[in-house]
Amino acid sequence: MPVNTYTIRIQRKRKTSDGRIDSHWKEYSVKATETTTILSILEEIKGEQDGTLTFRQSCRSAICGSCAMKIGGRTRLACKTHVGVVARDNVVEIASQANQPVLKDMAIDIGPFFERVHKITPYLTEGPETDAVTEKTAYDQVNHVTQCIMCGSCYSDCTMAEVSPEFIGPAALAKAFRFVSDPREGQKTKRLRQLAEPHMMWSCARCAMCVETCPKDVKPMEAIVKLRTRSVAKGFNDGPGPKHALAFHHDIQQSGHLNEFTLMMRTVGIMGTLEELGTAFHLLKKGKVPSLFPHKSAGLAELAKIYEILEQNPLDVETKAKEVVPE
Amino acid sequence: MKSHDLIIVGAGLAGMRAALEGVKAGIDVAIVTKIHPLRSHSCAAQGGVNGAIDPRDSRESHSYDTVKGGDYIGDEDAIELMCHEAPESILEMDRMGTPFSRVEGGLIAQRAFGGASFNRTCYAADRTGQVMLHTLWEQLVKADVRVYEECSMLRLVTDAEKHVAGIVVYDIKTGEVFPLRGKAVLMATGGYGRVFLSNTNATTNTGDGMALALRAGAPLADMEFVQFHPTGLLSSGILVTEGARGEGGYLINVHGERFMSKYAPNKLELASRDVVSRAEQTEILEGRGKNGAVFLDLRHLGKEKILERLPQIRQLAIDLEGVDAIHDPLPIRPTAHYSMGGIRTNMYGASPLQGLFSAGEAACVSVHGANRLGGNSLLDTIVFGKITGKHCCDWLKGKVLRNFAASEVDEVKSRIADLKRRPDQGVRPLALLQRTAGGMNQYFGVFRTPEIMQEGLAKLPAIRADYEKMHLDDKSDEFNIDLLRAFELGNLIDLSECIMRGAVARQESRGAHARTDFPDRDDENWRKHTLSQWDPGKQEVVLSYEAVRTVGKAEYAPKVRTY
Repeated sequence: MPVNTYTIRIQRKRKTSDGRIDSHWKEYSVKATETTTILSILEEIKGEQDGTLTFRQSCRSAICGSCAMKIGGRTRLACKTHVGVVARDNVVEIASQANQPVLKDMAIDIGPFFERVHKITPYLTEGPETDAVTEKTAYDQVNHVTQCIMCGSCYSDCTMAEVSPEFIGPAALAKAFRFVSDPREGQKTKRLRQLAEPHMMWSCARCAMCVETCPKDVKPMEAIVKLRTRSVAKGFNDGPGPKHALAFHHDIQQSGHLNEFTLMMRTVGIMGTLEELGTAFHLLKKGKVPSLFPHKSAGLAELAKIYEILEQNPLDVETKAKEVVPE
Repeated sequence: MKSHDLIIVGAGLAGMRAALEGVKAGIDVAIVTKIHPLRSHSCAAQGGVNGAIDPRDSRESHSYDTVKGGDYIGDEDAIELMCHEAPESILEMDRMGTPFSRVEGGLIAQRAFGGASFNRTCYAADRTGQVMLHTLWEQLVKADVRVYEECSMLRLVTDAEKHVAGIVVYDIKTGEVFPLRGKAVLMATGGYGRVFLSNTNATTNTGDGMALALRAGAPLADMEFVQFHPTGLLSSGILVTEGARGEGGYLINVHGERFMSKYAPNKLELASRDVVSRAEQTEILEGRGKNGAVFLDLRHLGKEKILERLPQIRQLAIDLEGVDAIHDPLPIRPTAHYSMGGIRTNMYGASPLQGLFSAGEAACVSVHGANRLGGNSLLDTIVFGKITGKHCCDWLKGKVLRNFAASEVDEVKSRIADLKRRPDQGVRPLALLQRTAGGMNQYFGVFRTPEIMQEGLAKLPAIRADYEKMHLDDKSDEFNIDLLRAFELGNLIDLSECIMRGAVARQESRGAHARTDFPDRDDENWRKHTLSQWDPGKQEVVLSYEAVRTVGKAEYAPKVRTY
């Protein structure tokens, strides 16, 4: 395999004496093949060029979750990312994870991330809803989310966390689903009720960034959707989140279109809608308010069929196409 | 000065399992770990955990396989204890929340593993260690155990009566050095795989607990027995689980021949790890390998089985080796994997050094003897984590905190200042690590030859001298990994001396220790444990020997070991 010369641009960060973060970009030149991992390159820079370069790492095999960092604009595990995949014109930019306080270079303060995970009661609890494990398939739902290694990539790339630090984040919610979907868990309903509180599962904007970015294919957003489905099924329909989802569901099922006006009314009520009038006028000026009386879409029968299939199996909603395994 | 009844160092499976016993006993227990608990290397154990949970299997059979697998140097009382406790310890993990794979009816699924006479390896797909680690961490959160995260132990402190008094801690996040007093210290710091340059281990597996125990006066046992895993990926050394062979994978040479029929006609690929590693190395040395590797062939298992049972390792091989196991054989070679040696303890995890306990890979109880069976390491961590934790809590009753001299902290501080102050004399830490660990691969690998071993041992003084000249770029207090690695390298050098001296002295071949000049096992002279101790006067490791603990059962009597 040919050896290339790569320019590695690293955002170096240091805490100053007054607690601010001083940052600047520094470039290193490294020879590597396309399949050299970013972690190997960082180790080479630290070992041979600049021992002050700081990053976490441990297992080298994508299972300990230490080395998540921004590589080429996306959060990835350095140990499984090939330089050839992320380099543009043989240049790679590397920085610390976003949405989290930085200690030094790529080493972030992992405290706040784990505090969020602690909030979801991250252990099996006893209670009246405990079921025995009697099927081979008992953990099919659990297995998906227990692949999570708590690397923080999803939180770092979460578009909601970027604007709302109160949001508990995708990893914690995936972990919550791990317990809700475990037959042995005794307090599934209590968990769902807690997860319906503000800044929990209903705060996710379903942008699917976490599904894209997760290095272990956990698909946190799918877990969030499944939590919501189970929560609504339990009748926890209060609050703008479930109301919005139900109104959305109603509109699409009825007409194939959203009625943005009534959607708003049903989500946040009259007062809430009045508060948003400014936004509505702004949209109106830009010609972005759809008709208040939408027509019915063609192909409603097909839509009905989609709903029928989804409702038969609400827990297996796939948000990412299954990985294609070449024959 | 901060203090706890029990200080556990390391937050892998053994450390966390021990901590739960402390919680149960109501003592003040704290964990000190240089990485977040979920980063611990227990997570990398893929294949599974052994236990006779099937009514057709038996604990006796498990014990017999373990005695034989360890090539008759494991302590039989400890082996029987482990195999007896195995089913309950696994079911306990299940109750705590580990999602083990299931068979129809809901029972825990079990697969075949090397050296076992029954399919007794419980698993969770190919990420058993990871789900077990996450389960124990969940329990740790539930019990609200005090964890000093990202804090490294730089010294094990004893008082004038050679009784453990606590440890000196280095907070990686801030650079603060502080004393932590404890009535007892339990080392659960894992193995020393990083002593070898080519290894399956995490970079953090530097055997810190063993090395600091050695310097504090505790004996280490059987350090020359280092397991080479038969299936490390060629380029990175990263592990491919034995479960891949358990599911039916073949080992083939460059000509496509299943060569294990020559070396282990009955068990073939599922012979004991030492046997398979030597077979591979022989194929490679005799020219039937390619680029220093032979191949693990999974293609005949079919796409479906690979995706269901071995999804993680398939992805790993794609990511790290660029090979999809569904279509091509994986290039693999024997790679340093597991430390049978460790802090010498009795069957309850107590070291001869008063107040020092150890469990898991850091300890040498010894249940693995000269060669560990696959699936017995996870078992070791949960069984002896529990037993040692419990024993430690009993032992603690009525004990008081010992005198912790302030000079201990000052010495560590001045050592740090010295390391940072050193001028650049051209010795970089990475280069020195590569020389030390590369040498271990070269001189003390799968096969050991006297002249070659002597050549390796002769390089030790120069390595020690250069260690004192090593220069660090990073002078800062916060997150100074450069500094941390300097201490770790010192530990690795001490441990490599134990391995070298033990291997040179042991004139026989047993388990993972294969001498070209003494190809046979010598039970008359060498059925005994090697003890390594630090001689402060000579400033080197000195050896002594200790008898294997036997229980007098006829079936455990040493026999020729064939698979």
